[in-house]
Amino acid sequence: MEHTSRLERIIRIVLVALILIFFLFPIFWIFLMSFQTNEDILRIPPSPFFTPTISNYQALITGKLVSAAGTLDIPFMRNLWNSVLLSSVSVVIALILGVPAAYAFARFKFRLGEDIAFTLLSFRFAPPLLVLLPLSLYFQEIGLTDTYAGLIWVYQLIALPLILWIVRGYFEDISPDIEYAYRIGGHSWWRTFTRIAVPLAGPGIAAAGLLAFIFCWNNFVFALILASADKQPVTVGSLAFVTASGIQYGQIAAAIVLSVTPTLAIALYAQRYLVEGLSLGAVKG
Amino acid sequence: MAQVEIRNIHKGFKSGAVLSDISLTAETGEIVVVFGPSGAGKTVLLRLIAGVEEPDEGAIFLQGRDVADAPPEARGLGMAFQNFALFPHMSAYDNIASALTARERSPAIIKAKVDNVAKLLKISHVMQHAPRELSNGQKQRTALARALVADPRILLLDDPLRNVDAKLRYEMRLELPSLLKASGSTVLYVTQDYKEAMALGDKIAVLLEGGFVQIATPTEVYRAPATLGVARLFGDPTINVIPAEPSLRDGRSVFDLGGVSLSLPARYAAVAGKSCMLGIRPESIIVEEAPSAESFPVEVVAITPLNEKSVLLLRTYDGREILAAEAGVEQSSRRIGAACARLDADAVLVFDAASGRRIAPVQS
Amino acid sequence: MSDIVLSIDNVDKIYQRRGKSPVHAVKSLDMAVEKGEIVALLGSSGCGKTSTLRMIAGFEDVSNGAIHLAGRRIEHLPPAKRNVAMAFEGYSLYPPLTVRDNIAFALKSSNLHSAEVVRAVADVAALVEIDAILDRYPSSISGGQQQRASLARALVRRADLYLLDEPMGQLEPQLRAVLRGRLKSLLADRRMTSIFVTHDQTEANALADRIAVMEGGVLQQFANQKELKERPANLFVATFIGEPPMNVFDADVASADHVCFTIANGPKLDFAASEIPEAVRNAIGGRKQVVVGVRPHSVKIGGGRHEARVVSNQWLGDQSHLAMDVAGKLMVAVSHAPVPAKAGETLRYQINLSSLHLFDVASGAALSHGLEAA
Repeated sequence: MEHTSRLERIIRIVLVALILIFFLFPIFWIFLMSFQTNEDILRIPPSPFFTPTISNYQALITGKLVSAAGTLDIPFMRNLWNSVLLSSVSVVIALILGVPAAYAFARFKFRLGEDIAFTLLSFRFAPPLLVLLPLSLYFQEIGLTDTYAGLIWVYQLIALPLILWIVRGYFEDISPDIEYAYRIGGHSWWRTFTRIAVPLAGPGIAAAGLLAFIFCWNNFVFALILASADKQPVTVGSLAFVTASGIQYGQIAAAIVLSVTPTLAIALYAQRYLVEGLSLGAVKG
Repeated sequence: MAQVEIRNIHKGFKSGAVLSDISLTAETGEIVVVFGPSGAGKTVLLRLIAGVEEPDEGAIFLQGRDVADAPPEARGLGMAFQNFALFPHMSAYDNIASALTARERSPAIIKAKVDNVAKLLKISHVMQHAPRELSNGQKQRTALARALVADPRILLLDDPLRNVDAKLRYEMRLELPSLLKASGSTVLYVTQDYKEAMALGDKIAVLLEGGFVQIATPTEVYRAPATLGVARLFGDPTINVIPAEPSLRDGRSVFDLGGVSLSLPARYAAVAGKSCMLGIRPESIIVEEAPSAESFPVEVVAITPLNEKSVLLLRTYDGREILAAEAGVEQSSRRIGAACARLDADAVLVFDAASGRRIAPVQS
Repeated sequence: MSDIVLSIDNVDKIYQRRGKSPVHAVKSLDMAVEKGEIVALLGSSGCGKTSTLRMIAGFEDVSNGAIHLAGRRIEHLPPAKRNVAMAFEGYSLYPPLTVRDNIAFALKSSNLHSAEVVRAVADVAALVEIDAILDRYPSSISGGQQQRASLARALVRRADLYLLDEPMGQLEPQLRAVLRGRLKSLLADRRMTSIFVTHDQTEANALADRIAVMEGGVLQQFANQKELKERPANLFVATFIGEPPMNVFDADVASADHVCFTIANGPKLDFAASEIPEAVRNAIGGRKQVVVGVRPHSVKIGGGRHEARVVSNQWLGDQSHLAMDVAGKLMVAVSHAPVPAKAGETLRYQINLSSLHLFDVASGAALSHGLEAA
């Protein structure tokens, strides 16, 4: 029905504006903070007018944090690099393992199939802290503490279920007849998987990969417990700004801006796939 | 040698048996239509032959070879699907060529074959289009071309005309027989449209409740259906079914319809005293203004034209509804209200009330 | 004079689409429906028939024009105030109610005694053969049964107008013919004015008193079945109506003392000028080219002046469909008796002047039908 009055439209616009302000204002404020000195930030009342400075970014990039208590080394760039490395390698491995697994769960009905799939998903239900204590003990035993390999392994807990469930929904959405048609045309199972199933599930795989990347990137607690400073990602690295002489709000803001930028850029670029991929998975998965 | 031979196939899913004890043979160049209502298991049967499902019991022989262990790609079939099953990320050309690329390396030969079949099916001008840019008719032809391009000895067509509009379906129905005969393939054609089955099939295998009830030529299936169930599936409008227990009078079976005793020809004598279902095709009921011998009074309740025919809904005086179809009668000459009807008694089919099997005429 | 119940006056429907050009779905539609008439809106998908139905029901705004129902102007009224009953294509039964309650629900707002409601529900349920499933829930019955229940829910109401959207699309084929008969009889007996939308001309022919053929948002012709078949207004109607559709060919016209229609690479249809009534000759006028059409049932086979190769011969139990290769196209002939011809053989056929339709090449408008000018 298309009966919309002027009043309805006005109310709709106002509501949308309120929601946008609620969600976007903190981001905007952080962005402003990253160009302010700590004194500007802590001024009461707060003011949007200040002399912008890039000293926060300078400190992050050079790795020298100058505070009242003296100069402090902060490995922020190293943390950023760790984030990139950990997240991307984790996602690639999760894709290599998860896409064929998702295909198997979607196409083949086998004993306990549903149970296994659900168990994998349930890893996402458990609070990370629940597994962390035993994990850190194991890791110390087998020497995986404070290694990239160990972290990437643990990150599979985040990435794998996500990829499995989103991509599975996508595979289920492809009519089996399309694959049958290709096989009857004389092509093997593997060629059908690589030439038909994977390309057709492409948007879903991309969406799942992106989402897994963002989740890995944003993870905090795994790396906090299982790795030391030189292996930690930005999320943990930002803790360094809570110094003995106070909290370095300006640097934190700049660090947030820097660390959010890559994921935000990717997410914006792939927004279309993300929404489409996620909603499909939700309906079918 | 039969190109396709199916022996005592059983196939069940969790929800129950879909096919039980199915046997069928198709000779070289023959078009066998597998006909049945939706859910009868027709598609499952084709999938078993294609090798994408496995039978629980029984064996399938293609060109004399037991294919139990052959995967779909090794069975040398062509298949067209109801939903076309085109590859959305490939052009029409690549879709068709996909049936060749696995075995044929030479691009020149592939191109020649694809161009040839595209010309035959009148889709040459859309070869570079993606499936989503094709009309339904073009999609259907592309799917058919993909099934035909490799010159398969055996062609499985799963209700390929289901998803095209009525006009196109009709045109394809006229064109398909010569196209299929020219290919020389043995064709198993699945449909749930009885007209398509009759128009295309050299023989029709009627699949009902998981088993073949009758395998015969189209004319035979229509004129001498094996069971009441088959009779009800062929014909538009559907055959009239009247329960009766004929009695014997002067050597003939006599039954009551609308308060009038009607007698059947001598060859129906054997059905007297049995509990029967009489199947009377609407075109075997003749409606007249004036009463005659063996006519019974009816009320014309409604007249619904059907193409060049008129379908009359009649009500007898005991409240039974029967349909009559007449061709070539000026529609405006018919009036709602009282009239008389009589039967073409020679065309009456008599089925056993309990089993549904035809008991008379014995052979037609 | 006739008793007009519904009149649609110069109605347009334009869909505004963000970022795209608007769609003109219904163009200056004029239609009047009489009391007790059964009207079919027939056309392929996207022809505007569903938009029209939804505008009458009130689910869609009218972009332009007026709709009157039973003497009231209704296009600005909400659906509930229009006194229209509707059966939806998607069944749309209320899932938490039994079939019986679904049907009775439609009578709730009327002031009927409960005994009357019970009787009305029972009557309509018997009509569409759902009496046995009245106490079941919609989710446990088949698609065909849901559709019949939805139909019953619309028919049980007392309304000025009944709108049925593809009322029999999902129906079991075995029931269709009988239900058509019963429905037609019910609508006629109670003089229920009704409009139904369908893409299936068999449905339209069987049920409707008059059929409105729509295409591209434009009403092509609004007439009874006989008229549509014998006097199609244009080439679209001619080739759309009829199963199988009319055979049409482009032909060159030469008129002297003979009028001769020459189909390129095909037969020459030659008639003495004296055979052709003056009105038809005037209709042809000075045209050098026309489109000739002949209905499949009017092609006389097994004799006559012309020859063609048989492409296929299909016996459907009660009729034969013969496709012949004429001028590189398929010409279809239908007979109600079996024809002894095989694919590949040559067959003689005849097309009589009385069954020849002529159309203008450019506009497609009909020029003549048999011996009469259009």
